[in-house]
Amino acid sequence: MSLVLQGVTKTFPDVTVFRDLSAVFPAGRVSVLLGPSGSGKTTILNLLSGLLEADAGQVLLGDRSPVEARVSYLFQEPRLLPWLTVEKNLDFVLPPGLPRSRRKELIAARLEEVSLTGAARKYPSELSGGMARRAAMARAFIFESQALLMDEPFQGLDLPLKLSLIRTFEAALEANPKTVLFVTHNMEEALLLGDEIFVLSQPPARVCLHLSHPVPRGRRYPGHEGFPELERRIFRALDPGAEPDCGPGSPRTPA
Amino acid sequence: MTVSTPRLKSAGIGAASLALFLGVWKAGSLFMGSSIILPSPEETLREALRLTAGKAFWLSLGATLLRGTAGFALSFAAGLLLGYPAGRSPLFRRFLQPYLTVIHSTPVLAIILIALVWFRTEVVPVFVAFLMAFPVIIGNVVQGIGAVDEGLVAMARVYRVGRRKRILGLYLPSVLPFIASGASAALGLSWRVVVAAEVLSQPVLGIGTGLQEAKIRLETPRVFAWTAAALLVSRLTEGAFSRLMRRLRNRRGA
Repeated sequence: MSLVLQGVTKTFPDVTVFRDLSAVFPAGRVSVLLGPSGSGKTTILNLLSGLLEADAGQVLLGDRSPVEARVSYLFQEPRLLPWLTVEKNLDFVLPPGLPRSRRKELIAARLEEVSLTGAARKYPSELSGGMARRAAMARAFIFESQALLMDEPFQGLDLPLKLSLIRTFEAALEANPKTVLFVTHNMEEALLLGDEIFVLSQPPARVCLHLSHPVPRGRRYPGHEGFPELERRIFRALDPGAEPDCGPGSPRTPA
Repeated sequence: MTVSTPRLKSAGIGAASLALFLGVWKAGSLFMGSSIILPSPEETLREALRLTAGKAFWLSLGATLLRGTAGFALSFAAGLLLGYPAGRSPLFRRFLQPYLTVIHSTPVLAIILIALVWFRTEVVPVFVAFLMAFPVIIGNVVQGIGAVDEGLVAMARVYRVGRRKRILGLYLPSVLPFIASGASAALGLSWRVVVAAEVLSQPVLGIGTGLQEAKIRLETPRVFAWTAAALLVSRLTEGAFSRLMRRLRNRRGA
């Protein structure tokens, strides 16, 4: 299921974030969205999840509108219900008609994928930051959807924990394939996880750079020899004034 | 089992406060020298014991308890039912505001007198308790709904969580602490207005009826004994309700 923005315009009271923005995030791939602050990265996720509506243009998930489609969303914070245990938090997003035995089975499987089996009966207040994010990840994968939106879910974590969560995420994604759109500010996360890398310009934002990662996922590691060239191109796109296509008000939309 | 020093200290301070109160009361009654104006603590106790020995007292206590509980339960249910949409919709909140302001600003006695015109004497205390407790409950529910974490609401929306599950699993636990404090205040208020309404409406049985009859006969020790009974009912029910809410919150791990 591709995620498609066609001529989308979105204005907030004090700023026009996009004017006639078009982009296609391909099906079954992990697309990473980078861009300066205020370029509307989270707004794109909120449009695709149906939390926001576009003022003009079309937002499609496959051939469905955000209201009809089902997407999972990993927010910046885990957003677990503090009064429910981890397993109950997962159960919260399961459809009500599902038999009890099936619910238990699904919960156990997803928790195992994120190595949280032992924490099933713990409350969020009893979890470490990393465990809470794993729980949120398990919830994103237990929800029946074809797309997963991620809004900087690894922000603020130290490198070893971040790498461990990225590995966990990759394993869970392999077991439950989805089209992923991943918003980040972090170059390392972008290069480790992204199959397709999109860079947004200054607002009103356009996609001013689109790269396909030459190294397949699974063979990537921090400091990979293929990374510096990608990094150089992305940095150039993010540096105001260095890349004419990515400056404010540039007319070109390459994607 | 040993009792910790701070608990012992707290109990000691409580006992000292009570002793001071009884001392001042006793001194006051001696100074007045008339049990019609200010009966002594022991006279009041004797009267209370005499009162509790009769069946009528327990029936009156039960009747008041029933009325207070009914009025409170009605206001609790209505407060929850209307508080949720009022918390979610500023328009509905605006629509309700004038009614709540009128109820809030009208003197209790005026409400009791109007209710006396409209209802049977048995119903008057229930109606008044409902009306007085309702704004307190709904106000707290609206405040609680306003404090619900919007991030969690967005999460539930994205994950297509149904309305029923959203209310029971997200809104209700978020609002529970607000409901608990609102209900506790409303419960205390309910007892006070039920007894006041009984004094004026004079149902066959009730603490208020007992109070009024004792006052007419100038049996001040009995007035004090009935007052102590009202106080006891209020403290016991509030205590039980607080325990219930605490248990509910603990069970949900909040």
